[in-house]
Parts: sequence; C-alpha cells; structure tokens
Amino acid sequence: MTNEDKLKELLKSRGIDASGMTDEAAIPKQAEGCGKLIDIYYTLKNTVDMEFPYWYNRVWQENGSDVIMVRRAKALAAAFAHLTPTIQPYERLVMNKTRHVRGAFPFPWVTASFFNAQAEALMKEATAPSESEADSVSIIGAGGGNVTKSYGNIISIAKKFGMRKEEIPVLVKTCSYWDGNSVEEMSNHYAKYTPQYDIEQAIMDSVLCMFDSYCIPQGREVINYYLPLQYGWDGIIELCDRRIAETMGESDGDGLMGMERGYYYVAMKHLAQGLSKWCQNYADRAYYLASVETDAALKKNYEEIGGVMAHIAHKAPVTFRQALQLTLACHYAEVNEDPQSGQSIGRLGQVLQPFYEKDIDDGVTTEEEVIELLEFYRIKITCIECFASAGVTGGVLSGNTFNNLSLGGLNRDGLSAVTPLEYHIIEAGMRCHTTQPTLSILYDEKLPESFLLKAAACTKQGMGYPAWMNNQDGMNFMLMNYGPEGMNVEDARAWCLGGCLESSPGCFLPLRYNGKVTWIPGGAGPTAGSGVHFVGLPKMLELVMTNGYDRRINKQVLPAHNRKLDSMEAIQEEWVRYMNLTIDVLNKVNNLQMDIWRKYCPPVVSSLLKPDCFAKGRGLGMMGGRYNATINFESCGTVTFVNSMASLYKNVFKDKKYTLEEMLDAMMHNFGFKTSYETGVFSPDFREATDEAPRYAQIFADCVNAPKFGNADWEADQFLKWYEDVMFGLTRQYKSYYGKPLYMCQISVSTHGPQGFITLADPAGRLAGTTYSDGSVSAAAGTDKNGIYAIFESATIYDHSTQQNAQMNLKLHPSAVKGSQGTRKLLDLVRAYMRKGGFHVQFNIVDSKTLKKAQAKPENYRDLMVRVAGFTQYWCEIGKPIQDEVIYRTEYDD
Amino acid sequence: MNAPQAVIFDIQPFSVHDGPGCRTTIFMSGCPLHCLWCSNPENHAGRPQLIFASKVCKWASGCRACVGTCPKGALTASDNGIELDRAVCRECTTFDCVRPCATHSLRVCGKYYSVKDVMDILHRDSNNWGTGGGVTFSGGDPLLHHDFLKAVLEECKKDNIHTAVETSACIPTEKFIELMQLVDFAFIDVKNMDNDRHIAGTGVSNNLILKNISTLVASGWNGRLVLRYPVIADYNDSDENAVKVIEFMKANGLFEINLLKFHRLGQTKWEQLGLAYPYSTGGDVSNELMDHLQSLYLEHDIICYVGDKTPF
Repeated sequence: MTNEDKLKELLKSRGIDASGMTDEAAIPKQAEGCGKLIDIYYTLKNTVDMEFPYWYNRVWQENGSDVIMVRRAKALAAAFAHLTPTIQPYERLVMNKTRHVRGAFPFPWVTASFFNAQAEALMKEATAPSESEADSVSIIGAGGGNVTKSYGNIISIAKKFGMRKEEIPVLVKTCSYWDGNSVEEMSNHYAKYTPQYDIEQAIMDSVLCMFDSYCIPQGREVINYYLPLQYGWDGIIELCDRRIAETMGESDGDGLMGMERGYYYVAMKHLAQGLSKWCQNYADRAYYLASVETDAALKKNYEEIGGVMAHIAHKAPVTFRQALQLTLACHYAEVNEDPQSGQSIGRLGQVLQPFYEKDIDDGVTTEEEVIELLEFYRIKITCIECFASAGVTGGVLSGNTFNNLSLGGLNRDGLSAVTPLEYHIIEAGMRCHTTQPTLSILYDEKLPESFLLKAAACTKQGMGYPAWMNNQDGMNFMLMNYGPEGMNVEDARAWCLGGCLESSPGCFLPLRYNGKVTWIPGGAGPTAGSGVHFVGLPKMLELVMTNGYDRRINKQVLPAHNRKLDSMEAIQEEWVRYMNLTIDVLNKVNNLQMDIWRKYCPPVVSSLLKPDCFAKGRGLGMMGGRYNATINFESCGTVTFVNSMASLYKNVFKDKKYTLEEMLDAMMHNFGFKTSYETGVFSPDFREATDEAPRYAQIFADCVNAPKFGNADWEADQFLKWYEDVMFGLTRQYKSYYGKPLYMCQISVSTHGPQGFITLADPAGRLAGTTYSDGSVSAAAGTDKNGIYAIFESATIYDHSTQQNAQMNLKLHPSAVKGSQGTRKLLDLVRAYMRKGGFHVQFNIVDSKTLKKAQAKPENYRDLMVRVAGFTQYWCEIGKPIQDEVIYRTEYDD
Repeated sequence: MNAPQAVIFDIQPFSVHDGPGCRTTIFMSGCPLHCLWCSNPENHAGRPQLIFASKVCKWASGCRACVGTCPKGALTASDNGIELDRAVCRECTTFDCVRPCATHSLRVCGKYYSVKDVMDILHRDSNNWGTGGGVTFSGGDPLLHHDFLKAVLEECKKDNIHTAVETSACIPTEKFIELMQLVDFAFIDVKNMDNDRHIAGTGVSNNLILKNISTLVASGWNGRLVLRYPVIADYNDSDENAVKVIEFMKANGLFEINLLKFHRLGQTKWEQLGLAYPYSTGGDVSNELMDHLQSLYLEHDIICYVGDKTPF
C-alpha cells in the first residue's frame, strides 16, 4: 500500500475529512489535431491581404447610387462570397477572417489616411508609414507572430502585420478611392466645426487621450446568435422577403424611420445571401479536398466538414457541431465588417446547450467529442486578428482581440444558468491553452459549487482565464443604466461581458428546438466602447500642476487655469474642471466620428445579429437595438492618480513638508533619476541616479512612503472614493450620439504602458515614462504591503455597480494554490472579494522568475501566457513596458 | 483592553499553509528557542529590528540618501555600499536611517500592536476567510506574549473566530494550559526527542515541551493538535528519533504529525540582520527520506503529512 493510500485509510478511520487530500485529476492533453494546428499557428506570422477589401470596394463602387445600407450590404456580401476558403488538414471547425490563418485586412472605408499618406513610400517598398503620436509611444511585442520589420518579399505594416509586396499596388489603389471619404476623414472634416477643436487636437497630441472612436467603431459588445440558429440563412432570406412585402413603401406612421424598414430588409437579404454563399464555398472546398485526399481519416474529416458547411449554408442547424460552426461563421462575419476588438461570444454554453443535450441524448456524439470540438473552437477564435494602427493594435490591444466567452450567471427565471456544456467549455480551456476565447465567470452565490471549483481549477493553471465577474454587480449596473430604456430584471439577468470587461446588455430569446422552448441569452445593444477613449488620469493631474502646459511636448494642452493651488480642494476643483473640458471636447468629436460611421458606413452584420433590429426593421446604428445607452468614457491609471493625490495631500497640505513648487520641481527633475526614455527600462523598480539625486533623496522617499492605495488605509483610499463619486455624476452629464448619458469604463487594457510613457514623474514617486498601475483597483506594483485582504478592503470602498466595471489584477505564486485544497482556497479568495461587491478579479498564477527567464529567452517560452488587463496574451507578443509591469506586480505566496 | 502590547513582525492575510482554510497569520516577535535553522530570525530580539536588504539597495545606481543619517555613526559609506555597525543597530530605537530610504532596503522589522490593533485587522480579514478559516498566531512563539495573546484570544472567542497557534510549547505549564483553552488548533514542534540534541539545536531542553504536551492532553483540551518538526539531516532525520516521537505520541494518545522538509528560505533574513547563518550548508534531506519517515509513522497508525500536503 502506498503512503497516500495508507494515509487516506487512517484519516477515514479517524473520521477526518480527507477530500482535501485528493489529487486533482490529471488534465488530458489537447486533442491531437489541435496540437498540430497550434504548432502551425505559432509558426505563422500576422498577415494582411487585400481580397476582402478588393471585393468590397468593387461592389461598393458598382452600386454608387444605391441606398447606403443596401449598398454596404451588397459590398459586404460580395466580399464574403468571394473570400477564398482555406481549410487546413485536421481542422474540425473551419472558416477564417481571410484566406490566411492569422489573417486580417485594412478597412479603408473606415480609415485610409494611414496608407494614402504613405502610398508613394509603400510603392517604393518602404517599411515605416508615418505614425500618430499615440502610435509613436506604443511599443509592440517583438516576438511571436508580429512582423515588426520588413523582410524578403514581405512589407511590415503597423509594426505588426506583413503584406506580400505584390499586394501593395492593390492596397494603394483601394485606399486611394477613400482618400477624403473614409469615416476618419469625413468626421475630421466636421470635427473642425466643433468649438475648441484646437484643444481636442492638443489633447490627442499629448496622448492625454489615447485614440479616436473611428479606429475601432464596433466591438465591446455581445453577439446574438438567435436568428441564424433558429432560422438558418435560407430562413432569414424568407423572413426578409415576407417583411419586404409588408413594409416596402409603408411608413407605418413613423415619418422618420418608417420608410427605412423596407431598405433594411433588402440589405439583410443581400447580406444573408452573401453569408450563405460564403459557407457554401467552404462546403465545396471541403468536398474538393475530400475528393483528392488519399489518407482515409483526413478524407473522412473533409467529408464531414463538407456536410456541416453545406447544411449551415442554408438551413438552421440540427446538431451541436452544426450549431457551433454556425456561431463561428457569425463571429467571423461580425469581425470582418469593421475594425473591431471585443466582439464577444457571450454565454455560448447556454446558447448551445439545447443542441448539445439532444445530441448526447440521441447518441449522435459523446462528451469527449464535444470537448474536442470546443478545443478546435479555441484555436479558431485565437486566430482572429484585428488590423488597425500600431497604437491601437499594439499599444492598446497588445494584439489581442478580446473575444470573450461568459459562463454562469442567472437564467431568465433567476436561477443558476450553468449548463453541462459550460463544464466542457472550461475543460476545453484547460486542455487546449490558447489566448482566446478568454473565459469570464459571472459569479453568483446561486451557482453550483462544483462549477465554481471547476472554474477555479482552470484559473489555477496559470493561463489567466477564467476571470471572475460579479453577477449581482453586473445586474445592478444593467438596471441602473438601462432601466430608463425599459430594462426589467429578466433582461438584466441576460447581461455578460463584451470585450474584456465591458458589461453589456442582453436579453433572452425563445429558441424552439428539440420539441421545446429554451430561452437563450444574447447581446442586445451596440458597442460599449466608442465614447471617450482612455483618458490618462495621472496626466490630467500633471497638467493641473503645470497650469495646462505639457512639458514633454512643450505645448499648452489645456487652457491655463492660473490659479494658486493652495489647498487640496483647489487641486481637486481644477482637476474636475480640466476633466469636464476634456470630456466635453472629446465627446463632441467622438460623437461626430461615430455619427459619420453609422450614416456612411452603417453596421450591417451586427444589424442582423442584434435584437430588436430585425423586429423593428432598423439598423443597429439607428438605435434598432433594444438598449442603446452603451457608450462609455474610458479611464486609465486610476490608482496611479489616487496615489499621487494621497501624496500631495500628505506631503504638501497635511504635513506641509514641501511646497507645491518643491514637489513640482522634484517631478520635473524626475527626483534626480534618469528617465526611462534615457534608460529604455520601464519597470517601476528600475532607477538610475543622476548627480541631482541627493537633492531629491528625501522628497523622493517621502513620496514613495506616502500612503498608498491597497493597504486599507483611508488616507489614500479616500481619494478613490472621491474620484468615483465625482466621476459618476460628471460622466453622466455628457450624452452620446445616441442621446444617452456616458458612464465610466475602468479598464486600462494596455494603455497604461503608452500613457505612462507620456507622463512625467508623479507625486507618489512613480518615475517619468514608467507604466501606470494596471486595472482600476489593482494596487500599484510593490506598494501593497498589507496583503490581499487589505487590497480588497481598499478596492471596495465604493459601490462597484455604479460603473460598467472595475478591474483587479492579482499575481499569485503557484505554491499558494497547489492541490485540491489550493483550488478551494482560490475559490475562497474569489468569493471573499465578490462578497464585498468587488466587480472583477483575475489572476496571474506564475512565478516572477519564470517571467524574467521568458523575457530573456522568449524563444523558449512561445506558449507562455499572461493576464494583462482583461485578457490573456502570449508573453512574447506583448510590449516590454507591459512585460516589466507584470513582472513587478506584487506576488502573493504563503 | 488596550493595555497589553506586543511586537508583531509580519501579518500575512490569505495564509494557506498555517492551519485549516484561508487564514490570517500573525507573526509575533520573541521565542524561547533559538534554533540554528530558524526561518524567522528577525523575531529573536523580541523588539523592532533594523533589516538591511543589500540586494535591493540602489547604491550602485547612485543613491546616497541614507548616508549621514545615523546620529550614532553606525552607518558608514564604503566603496561598495553602506556598512552597518550591527552591535549598535541591534540596540537602536530611533531608526533614523530608514526614513530617507525609498527602496525599503533599510527597514524596521516589527512594530508594537495593541489588542485593538490586532482585532481591527482580524475583523477586517474575517470577511475574507470563508468557512473553515481563521487566525493563526505564529512567530517566534506567540505564547511568550501571555497576557496579550490571552486578551486577543478571548476577543476571538467572543467573535467566533477560529484560532490556531504555532508554538514551541516552551513556556510555564500553568500559563500554557490556560492559553490553550482558548485555542482551537495547534501546531507544536518537537524538534528532537533526545534532550542533549534538542539543547544543541534550539538552546533549550525538551523536558518542559514534552511535559506541557502531556499535560495538555490530560487536561481534556478538545482542540486539534498536530505535532510538527522540520526534518534536518544529521540532526533529527533518523528512524530512531521518529520511533521515539511515535512512542511519545502513542503514550499520549496523539495521532497527527506534519513533517516539514528542511529549507533555507530564512537565510537571506539572517544575512539582512548581519548574522551568520549556521545552516548555509548541510541539513538537506531527500524526498525519499521524507517518504520513508512518513511510511514509518503510517505503519504505526500515526497520520503523517509531509509539507503542505494536508487535508486542511
């Protein structure tokens, strides 16, 4: 008998619960085919090609006088219908964004200036198009699939993608058509009419705000798969015909939008036809491959793919595999419409449960086969790339596109929504380690313990997913924000995450399948994240202290306030004034950008896939969706800002140890250290003294030792409470292009790198150019001295359900959560935070030594993943400033 | 309630290896034993101590912030960094050198806490433990702070907080028994069954320790007792020592023990205190030996856990 068996026997004889001693079941390896596909993925580079934009442009131009919505639907349909279908051996689920595995393409109808400005240079095969300010301060990971430099026959674009030289003329020609006509340029034209446009421009130049709305006009929202799952493309086409007959020429008493309905259904019909053809092309391709394949297993695989694709090209799915494949088709369709990030999958395990249940009952498939398909699904979602400028793809998104899959939460009846299929989704995530889809648990006390433990066991593996979100916070936010639009508690239960952390409205729709009705959740609103993008809160404080003058770029960014800042209240008042002005000017310009987008480049795919667009006969851009108060204001650097305020309060106003001038002088001199611009190191831990260091030694120590957020210390935490209270009212004064109030989205994504870069040393002792603290309630690296529970206390000093989200990143050493006891303790930790009303917590469970080794030798750590600010990404594909920040986060072990 | 104070040198929330469930562990300064392998040597003085982490010091990058701050002249600059006159530093109560240090490479280890201070933290943390967790008092030896600990434990009992201690049990029997009545769970170390070896390794005899354990069991105490010891090569890793532990346990009706494999995690702290670490070499044991010792205990029907592989 082994020691372990004997031990368990003894424990039993003593009546001691031995369940904590059970070894966790070994996690099976990923499916063989998945391993092969991941290896291919790792070796492939990000590739842009022109097939999709070429067909879009061609058909767009051919239909010059058509109604815009129909014109765009035709252009998109043609592009889909002409995409070359590519199927790799071993794939069980198929389709891609483009004909390439890690493919993307430019959307010149949205933004073309980038290419047009460089047409000549590109034609001369030059490598580096000019950069915006935000682009120039964004540092992209140099490893993995990123094409940071041109080589051979490949031209590097936006420091991330490679394009074959022979496609460059197509790129240049396609883009030139949009010169002056893209959403970007059209909205710039009107933006100039906004009052204080000069201030808006100065704000963008200083990178006080990170980027414009047109850059990624869609995403941060949740797809609704209901229509295609219920009706199939042919069924949708039939429905369109019926609705066209009912509505064409009828205003139905609505003088503004009534007539639009007919056009809407014509557009939807064109789109559905294009998507159907796109699926059929894959079926044809699969059958062709089957006909020439000699390996029996591969041949059978192609035949099966052909069968699935031929079915879903027309009809509603009748198996789990067909249903899953169809949702994937919808997903790719969505992300090919516009540059997007955060087009989220939603609660897939609840949506597809009826199909899963029937197949298992009928013996059509097995649980293992389902898990395997879900592994393949992970790879397909990981392959989604987004092409935008360097600042957006690298600096903000870190190359991730945030296709979030939510699990748990409550069903329409207010009971646990967890399904058996959701256990398999987690299992697939444990077997097949890919960055996407990231998983989010909608934590509710009603969820089964076995499910929560399963999720905790997955979190423990160290890939950074699932993250944990508070279902009750989310529902409360829904009711508060969408109540005025009529949201009731049933719809509030349908919420989930769109993008990394954007709480998005949803609704339940009645799927009739397998002889019963299942109310399936899905998205019910447009994009959340296209209001004001990433305002650097610490930079705003710096500008208050410098009277609006940006000393980095030597420019007056905000109008001088000329006020003597003789009290904390004076600083707070001026900061609020600057914030008001900033939101005001940015919101106007962003509203214009999004208004031009919805008018000249209206969403078509998402207007099919969002309730109640189809019911109303109205596009999503024209408020066809059920809930429209989605547009937010994004902040960055919350805790860095809070710590700065705490230090100013302590050192200047309370203890009066320094004057404000002395503090500013120390900040301007970077406390006597070399700046990270000089040293190239962005880690908060690194500093190199100059000759001036002794002069600033004491003030630096006092700033570093001032009270810090995350220690359950009111002296610091009060400024978070003040900030949240102020911003709650402040953001809601401004209205989006949908006429609804803004609210705060507090995720930094990766902007804490570039926005830290443009911010001078701060009163809390953070040096110039180093990253801000990540998230919105994570302690600044190395400043949390009282442990995790103290951070929880600080973080929940205000009600998290007042805003769209709050973000908490924690780093745990793997030893702290070892074994089945460790899983339970990790869940205890999550539950502790959720009980306090914390909205979100996510974990990096990896030791810093591994990360340092991986930074030195990335080639040996191709599959290492870390959690950044709401998403998981391959270590080698993120920029060094963010790598440094992750390494330096306080690591909790026992 | 505020009268007694104690020096606490660390408070660790989300502590997962010091008793059942998720806990907050409070490390109290001062110990009747001075084990040569001690992993928390900063507690030995029983009062706040200066620690200097030379590896974190930014001397090499040009920082000179602490130079000239010591009124007693115990901190001097050399070519390679700062040097401390440890004899002076050990008696220090003002710690002037710490204030300008922004890296916290010079820091004070240990702070005076009142009962209320501790209870405030426990009340805050009690929201987080979940079922099965609680507070663990460790050290040093928390039982040295008899009055203070008693007051804290009584407060804990009032608030239904699960209490655990990690103790050497080397305090006067009457006080030991009195305190243990307020404790739900205890780890007691039996470092060596041979009295001479015990004295050699820890500086004290094991007579009182063994007597206290026996007295505790006989007192009808209804807490859970898990014996513990670090297994150290050429010190207490023999079968002979284990057999004596087993005999002792059998004689006292004890049935749970936790063996910890020797480690050197405390070594840097010895260095940071300016002390020589007696176990910079030697002491290591193999996993095979740990398995072997475990099987020995198990054969005698003693529940024996190794390391953090416990059911709690």
